[in-house]
Amino acid sequence: MIGLFWENLRISLSSIFSNKSRSILTALGIIIGVLSVTLMGTLISGLDRTFEKSMAGFRSDVLMISRMEWFSGDVDWWEMRNRPRIREEYGEKLLERSQFVEAVAPVSERGGSIIRGDRRIDSRFFGTTTDYLATNTSVEVEKGRFFSDGEQRSGARVLVIGGDVADALFPDEDPLDKYVKIGNYKFRVIGILKKMGKFMGLFSMDNQATMPLGTYKRLYARRGWMTMRVKLNTDQADLAREEVRGIIRQLRRLKPTEKDDFGINQSSTLEAQYKAIKLAIGGTGLFITALSLIVGGIGIMNIMFVSVKERTREIGVRKALGATQTMILGQFLMEAVMICLIAGLMGMGLAYGLSFIIDKFFPSAMPIGLAIGSIILSVIIGVVSGLVPSYQAARLDPIDALRYE
Amino acid sequence: MADLISLKEIKRYYDVGGEIVRALDGIDLIIEPNEYISIMGPSGSGKSTLMNMIGCLDTPTKGVYEFEGELVHEMDDNQLASIRNRKIGFVFQTFNLLPKATALRNVEVPLIYANISKSERIEKAEKALNAVGLHDRMHHKPNELSGGQRQRVAIARALVNDPSILLADEPTGNLDSKSGVEIMKILDSLHDDGNTIILVTHEEYIADHADRTINLFDGKIKEDIKTNKRIRVSS
Repeated sequence: MIGLFWENLRISLSSIFSNKSRSILTALGIIIGVLSVTLMGTLISGLDRTFEKSMAGFRSDVLMISRMEWFSGDVDWWEMRNRPRIREEYGEKLLERSQFVEAVAPVSERGGSIIRGDRRIDSRFFGTTTDYLATNTSVEVEKGRFFSDGEQRSGARVLVIGGDVADALFPDEDPLDKYVKIGNYKFRVIGILKKMGKFMGLFSMDNQATMPLGTYKRLYARRGWMTMRVKLNTDQADLAREEVRGIIRQLRRLKPTEKDDFGINQSSTLEAQYKAIKLAIGGTGLFITALSLIVGGIGIMNIMFVSVKERTREIGVRKALGATQTMILGQFLMEAVMICLIAGLMGMGLAYGLSFIIDKFFPSAMPIGLAIGSIILSVIIGVVSGLVPSYQAARLDPIDALRYE
Repeated sequence: MADLISLKEIKRYYDVGGEIVRALDGIDLIIEPNEYISIMGPSGSGKSTLMNMIGCLDTPTKGVYEFEGELVHEMDDNQLASIRNRKIGFVFQTFNLLPKATALRNVEVPLIYANISKSERIEKAEKALNAVGLHDRMHHKPNELSGGQRQRVAIARALVNDPSILLADEPTGNLDSKSGVEIMKILDSLHDDGNTIILVTHEEYIADHADRTINLFDGKIKEDIKTNKRIRVSS
């Protein structure tokens, strides 16, 4: 039967290529379908990638203790706002009492403009301790250095700036040891952070500036908002989280009946939210794009009916020469599948090309599994949409077919 | 000698808009190997139906059809396809070649359905084309061939599987007289080589090539004459 397979392949290719414009128009539906499914997948993968990259600073072994809960559910925002503030002392107590806590860094932050001469950038700056680097392993100092314990205690006016800040304020000079202004205060730049990329503008260190917490408190707020970054020494984040929660409740002298008046946030909660959103967007997107594949399949079915009709006489001749129903069925099924396969490959090729352009704006890669999946899907569509016309061809009465004009 | 084909009380009725048309109405016919038969009759006499019946394209409404001992009237579609493929060669009035395929590929088609390997296929197809004098036209497509040449390709295709019988339906109907003569010469020599041939025609002078003429009228055999005379066009 191998000979028959090749013969059918040859017949179908010659039929496809001898009706070029018709084949292209027919294939267009499938091409667009595969293209959109694959591009959708590419976009989702890009979203995933940037998300993961941005979340690197919020790894699962990092807890963020603050008044606010990221996904508060039933807690009112105003209630959270009026909760007692997070105190710097909690850090020492956590390190002392918890077996899971490896490092703690308090973080206070606010927004503002950073100015250098007549250049300025709207940015965020925050105060923290030298332990910050231990709690956020994805931050790297590219040039210069982080501030020291001495600077932190004395409240020195030094600043470590993110890559975007450096680019905006110092387009053609070395920022190190230069001075910038935040409000009325002058700061000396002592370090530049390596760029991290961003996730929809969130959680990026690129457009931020870091100063010692002592300096921050002295200049801006002695009793401002504070978040405690807690780096754990274990993967058992749930266990550690419960322990940390117990310690903070103790520190705040909460009675067992009272609810937590603080939030312990974790990247996994964010991740869970993100996944739900991704599923909704991706699922809907893939469903809609898959619909276009089905529309393409209808086009294939239509053209296969035409093809069978046109070649009725040929079918009659082939039957007279000894082709069985299965052989005729195979011949037309092969044609439908070949159109879909070629169209699928073209769609994938186009998507592959476009994915490079998308990658320029939004780091992403074509998911190879999805691409192969959409090719397989288009072959299945070929089989499904070719089945009825092919069956019709196979069932033709040879005498009627031979007489057909 | 054993019968090649035996038709007993063959009836074929069609239902055309509620009216029963008796295309064949009780045909008894025995054909032996190496016979050269012509089937004649006016339009509507049932000659095409009889030809389709013998060619296993159609099955009888009633009656017994034996082909080399096999009971054709009991066969399903696959068995019919197989018997057409192995035992029967068709030559049509309108040639019925595949327009996009070369002469060689056209001749190969029955061998593909017989599941024969490519090298053997090409060898057999070339041999068949040589036999009809087309060795220099093998790679031409039908639209690059004359009518006579096309019909010769069709004959090569009909013969390539070494069938037990060759069925020719008005083989010269679409040809000029010179090409017609050529085709009849080929059929005559095929008969001389031992092939069994059935011609369907309404031209006396074509029918005269055969050794036996069957005249149909209203779905019945009116005359069955063994002529034994051979009119050969002198070359």
